[in-house]
Amino acid sequence: MATVEEPRAAEALFIRPDGKEKVTGLGRYTADLNLTGQAHAKLRYADHAHARITRVDVSKARALPGVLAVLTHEDVPDVKYGGMVQDRRLFAKDKVLWEGDVIAGVAALTAELAEQAVSLIDVEYERLEPVVDFAAAEGAPLVHEDWESDSGDDTMGRDGNRIGYSTIVKGDADAAMAEADVVVKGRYTTDCSQGVPIEPRAVIAEWHGDRVTVWSSTQVPYAARAGVATVLEIPESSVRIVVPLLGGGFGAKCDFHFEGHVAALARAARRPVKLVFSRREEFVAVDHRREGMVIELETGAKADGTIVAHRGRLVLDKGAYCGEGGFFAQMAAMHACGPYRMENIFVEASLNYSNTQPSSSIRAPTAPQTCWALEQQIDELAHALGLDPVELRRRTLIEEGAEGPTRQVFEKLGMKETLERAVEMIGYGRELPEDEAIGVACGWWPCFGAPSGAYVQLHSDGTGTIITGAQENGTGAVMAFPILVAEQLGMSPGDFSLLYQDTDAAPWDMGSCGSQTTFNSGRAAIAAAVEVREQLLDAAAAKLEVDREDVELVDGEARVKGAPETSVTIVDLVGEGGPFHGKGSGDVPEAPECDAEGCVGRLGMESFLAPQLITQAAHVKVDRETGVVRVLKVAAAHDSGVIVNPMGANGQVTGGVVMGIGQALTEGTQIDAEGRQRNPYLLDYKLTTAADAPEIEIAWVETPTANAGPKGSKGIGEPPCVATSGAIANAIRNVIGTPVRQLPMTPERVWTATREGNQ
Amino acid sequence: MRYQATLTVNGIPYPVEVEATASLLRVVRDVIGLTGSKEGCDDSECGACMMLLDGRPVNSCSYLALQADGREITTVEGLAPGDGLAPLQQALLEAGGVQCGYCTPGMLISATALLSSNPRPSEDEVRVALAGNLCRCTGYTNIVSAVLRASEGHPAGTPG
Ligand code: FES
Ligand code: FES
Repeated sequence: MATVEEPRAAEALFIRPDGKEKVTGLGRYTADLNLTGQAHAKLRYADHAHARITRVDVSKARALPGVLAVLTHEDVPDVKYGGMVQDRRLFAKDKVLWEGDVIAGVAALTAELAEQAVSLIDVEYERLEPVVDFAAAEGAPLVHEDWESDSGDDTMGRDGNRIGYSTIVKGDADAAMAEADVVVKGRYTTDCSQGVPIEPRAVIAEWHGDRVTVWSSTQVPYAARAGVATVLEIPESSVRIVVPLLGGGFGAKCDFHFEGHVAALARAARRPVKLVFSRREEFVAVDHRREGMVIELETGAKADGTIVAHRGRLVLDKGAYCGEGGFFAQMAAMHACGPYRMENIFVEASLNYSNTQPSSSIRAPTAPQTCWALEQQIDELAHALGLDPVELRRRTLIEEGAEGPTRQVFEKLGMKETLERAVEMIGYGRELPEDEAIGVACGWWPCFGAPSGAYVQLHSDGTGTIITGAQENGTGAVMAFPILVAEQLGMSPGDFSLLYQDTDAAPWDMGSCGSQTTFNSGRAAIAAAVEVREQLLDAAAAKLEVDREDVELVDGEARVKGAPETSVTIVDLVGEGGPFHGKGSGDVPEAPECDAEGCVGRLGMESFLAPQLITQAAHVKVDRETGVVRVLKVAAAHDSGVIVNPMGANGQVTGGVVMGIGQALTEGTQIDAEGRQRNPYLLDYKLTTAADAPEIEIAWVETPTANAGPKGSKGIGEPPCVATSGAIANAIRNVIGTPVRQLPMTPERVWTATREGNQ
Repeated sequence: MRYQATLTVNGIPYPVEVEATASLLRVVRDVIGLTGSKEGCDDSECGACMMLLDGRPVNSCSYLALQADGREITTVEGLAPGDGLAPLQQALLEAGGVQCGYCTPGMLISATALLSSNPRPSEDEVRVALAGNLCRCTGYTNIVSAVLRASEGHPAGTPG
């Protein structure tokens, strides 16, 4: 197994093409743009989390001088939209289902006027009991009374407040549990949490006749385009989405959000309209958060650690609408099994509607919480068996040839190597002060194969442009495309400019989600470059009068192999012939085979394509008197296949780990009995700061991987936050002697657990 | 009620007419048109809006424009000499301290203030100085190493 650790040349040299405009402050993010004559939008949100709307009167708002448009559901087509279930309207019609539901939108000459107009809209309600306890949603009042008439994916197993139900079934877990030498049980609960990109979202729309251009801080411009087309009933060809610089996303800016509202307002106002979110709206109105969960696990093992049976019952909070999170039940069920060899499994996961903010993909949706629970469970099992937790993992983690939860047989992968590297980096087993300890956690995350497309063209001076549908959210994944393309053409990455984030320019792409940019869009860029390469080889062979098989592209030249003096520069070839341009898609890899016959709610995640593997080890210090936890160091060892851009990859890990620390210790959205967020501010929803962020040591276990992305790479962006909370939890447990079974593990919860553990 | 004021931003005096309640951030972005400083919270919690006021870092979202009348304001746009980059900006790029870039203007302002008062900070001093600037992307590691790189006496540093 190749473990490459020495720094490579690319590491020192890679400067992001968009870097200069970012450090000089000259780059434009959506909120930085202003169009001549633009009006400003504000939205009127629901006053209650669950209520029937009995009357909406916008007359006072419309009469306010300077107000250009006020829209409610009556002013737009009556269309329901959504990902796997179409359960939402642009503007609430009969009922409001969470505090961020949009009742009306206003466009006015100034933002202040728009705000004033919004407050002049009279809404009367008949209040209904809000479903806040998602775990008890089955049997509670229906969130969507007409759920049966909402169209959606039939495989999800929808039933009333349960929007999804999935199981992972292998063998006979009941029988095997009865035979186990040791059985441990645990119940874990997690608060919902937030993506919190530092840029609050912004949208600007401008119509040109029947076409609309929308500048939006979205991670998924093509999904935004489809959304606008759907809700306004116009063709996709009439919608152009442009993404200026994007100030982070972490999933929170995936999916179609507010582009439809702003486009509709701009059409009605007959002016460009701009919407900029406040930080509070970024918490409360965004239909995208990390789901709260209840996780019950029961695991049985033989005395030697062999896991013979594993049962799980998970309930996930979907919030008010499906959005793009319809797949969560199955994803969570897979993570409840984790990267372990388990002989018999029965895990069931329910995804329940509630009258709270919708949950959708936030960086590795469902995985960090589920991993946090499972990894504590594995440690408890080790303690019950009298085994060291690392030793138990050595015996039970997956390896090449092992069988997954649905009998997927794994090809070469570096799971165990990540464990050994993490343990080595953190200094596992060494003496520590009694208020410090180390914890270890393992996890995994699949790659998602998806179609993508790119164009590559060369210019007359020997430079080129890569046009890609891929979206850049800050990770730098798109920024690495010039490396991939230049390599095919014997050119240098600096020769290429990038055109991206414009749906009129490039083919469809899934967007910056699912850690898929390098994996899929990178493959497309390479395929486009290969087409150009073939054209260059043809032209060079003709020019040099040799066989094209004998020509290679090196250092900006086409040369005869073994006779480099017989050559022509790419500049000359381009100057004389062409045009040289290529398009590519790349082949989408198939999902690995598995046996999921006994599973229900199968949505495509029953096997994990080219799994990315993670072990993180955390060294923490716990103040038993206050419950305050300080993370001193995290060692992160990842198998993300071959690393294309080491600096970018390391940056994903440090960023993900620090996000993971926040989720472990401080980041939780509190919801009151009325369904309202109690802490929608950065003062009360604490991110980890530079002063609290620990040293992070990274190792890449670069495993050549079947079915991988460019050069044998896998995804990178999401896994870094998956195992962090689990590692911290196990470290805390090793100090206080008892698990903390609520996430985030706030001082109060740690203190309480310490006290209960001592009793 | 609007008041006359002169805001000197990056060495250029701008006569402006502003509401008494207008924040420095709003006026610099919307009236003067320098959008490098970002709004992340409007609540003194994120540091994306940081500017130097007479050389000292302030969260401009929570500072009234009128309070800056007649004083020297430096925004991220004022850090680069001519068409080049300041050593800190260059170090941030080379160290991989920029991802989405939204925190970057505030980070640069904070770090500039730190290095001018403490040209050879320790890692801990850098971390404490940047504690008012939230970054969701980088985990701070590469930002901290960039500041250390750009500091005086560091082997990779370019003093001045
Ligand atoms: S916008 Fe000023 S501190 Fe966040
Ligand atoms: S680089 Fe994105 S917030 Fe710092």
